[in-house]
Amino acid sequence: MKNLLHPVFIFTFAFALMCFGHPSHAQSLLDELGPEELVIRPVSATFKDTKIINVQSNETPGANVLHFVIAHRFGKISDGAYELWGLDNAGMRMALDYGITDRLSVGIARSTFQKTVDASAKFRLLQQNSDNSMPVSVTLYSVTMVNGLKWADPTRENFFTSRMSYTHQAIVAKKWDSKLSLALIPSLTHRNLVESLSDSHDQWTIGAGGRYKLTSRTSVNAEYHYAIAGLPTEHVNSLSIGMDIETGGHVFQLHLTNAQGMFERAFLTETGGRWRDGEIYFGFNLSRVFDL
Amino acid sequence: MKTAFVLFLSLLFGYAAHAQQYMTREGYVRFYSSTPIEDIEAINNQTTALLKSTGEFAFRVPILGFRFEKALMEEHFNENYMESTTFPNGSFEGRITDWNEGLKDGSWHNVNASGSFTIHGKAQQRDIPAKVRWDGEKWTIESNFLVKPADHDIEIPSMVSKKIAESIEVTVEATLNPR
Repeated sequence: MKNLLHPVFIFTFAFALMCFGHPSHAQSLLDELGPEELVIRPVSATFKDTKIINVQSNETPGANVLHFVIAHRFGKISDGAYELWGLDNAGMRMALDYGITDRLSVGIARSTFQKTVDASAKFRLLQQNSDNSMPVSVTLYSVTMVNGLKWADPTRENFFTSRMSYTHQAIVAKKWDSKLSLALIPSLTHRNLVESLSDSHDQWTIGAGGRYKLTSRTSVNAEYHYAIAGLPTEHVNSLSIGMDIETGGHVFQLHLTNAQGMFERAFLTETGGRWRDGEIYFGFNLSRVFDL
Repeated sequence: MKTAFVLFLSLLFGYAAHAQQYMTREGYVRFYSSTPIEDIEAINNQTTALLKSTGEFAFRVPILGFRFEKALMEEHFNENYMESTTFPNGSFEGRITDWNEGLKDGSWHNVNASGSFTIHGKAQQRDIPAKVRWDGEKWTIESNFLVKPADHDIEIPSMVSKKIAESIEVTVEATLNPR
């Protein structure tokens, strides 16, 4: 006991305590806060809008948000100077999508192309998480399209159901980092009426789409759809390249595409333009959100 | 011998006093932007704060933890303004300059916290007014101050500038328990 109270021992003990017992002064105060808080949130803005270009992205309007889109596809660039490289002609699609919840939305749209009305539902099944405990987002999209053109042959017995076609798709998307997002989109398109007996009513396509952000408000986008069982000779797979410009509330999407129609059956399975022949349509989607 | 013992005690006491730290991981931070067009509010309950008995004070707020009324606001906040993947935290690191034992009398005291305030990766030297109260076992801190996005290199495009206030009101409330 006497030894333990020896001044040298006490001093050494106290000094050791001082040295090792409390945090070093060299450490910054912020480091002493300990490990960073783990905030797990659904990843936002995998894509800037509900469409990549023609195809749906995994995004939906939020709850009680009305999303209005006005989209144009001008004529073919190959039409030349007389048609001002297609700008003299335009097809249009107007769409209204409404977010019932943050995950479910419904929409209705009208295209001048084949005077088609389409009605759709979109549901975010899975959402990628900020810590990647859920590595991808999966959104389901289902659309019914009704062709509004006059009957080709009014004399025969025509059925309303013949006007209808459907596309069901799953959008599997992943935001790799703050700039790069990619999506894989398998789709099944069904048409009630086909042109000939040899045509299949069902067509599977697999699509790939992506965006790369250039600045915090602009990105380049691209998408491609491949028909698994092939297409009739007059049709080709669709390829689109574009740019998103976001201005807060508005998103402008400008693009070049070989698909003229803006609803799923048209651009997935009936694309007519050939890129190498300049049969490319310049177009834009302009969206605006309204909080209801 | 006696001297050594006193030295030992004082070192121990000094150590113990130095080790007094008060902390929370559930601090509340709110920001509020008000314009004639739109009011924007976001709340974060995951703020870490540390106060030492020397008056040293720090807090860290995870930007992704701010909750907004509208999903699109939260998206724009994280994506366009705060760039929260690149700059995940806001922080303050400094000291309460008028720190003294008299603050421990159980009532609210106005103090001044001076130090480095960082958001969007850009630090600003700030003197921030705060209120502190000691209730015998824990400290409560409240503060209200303004932050100008422009001071932290946060660009607001002219098209939306009418919707976002030039100065954002920030409220901090934290109860810090002994660590």
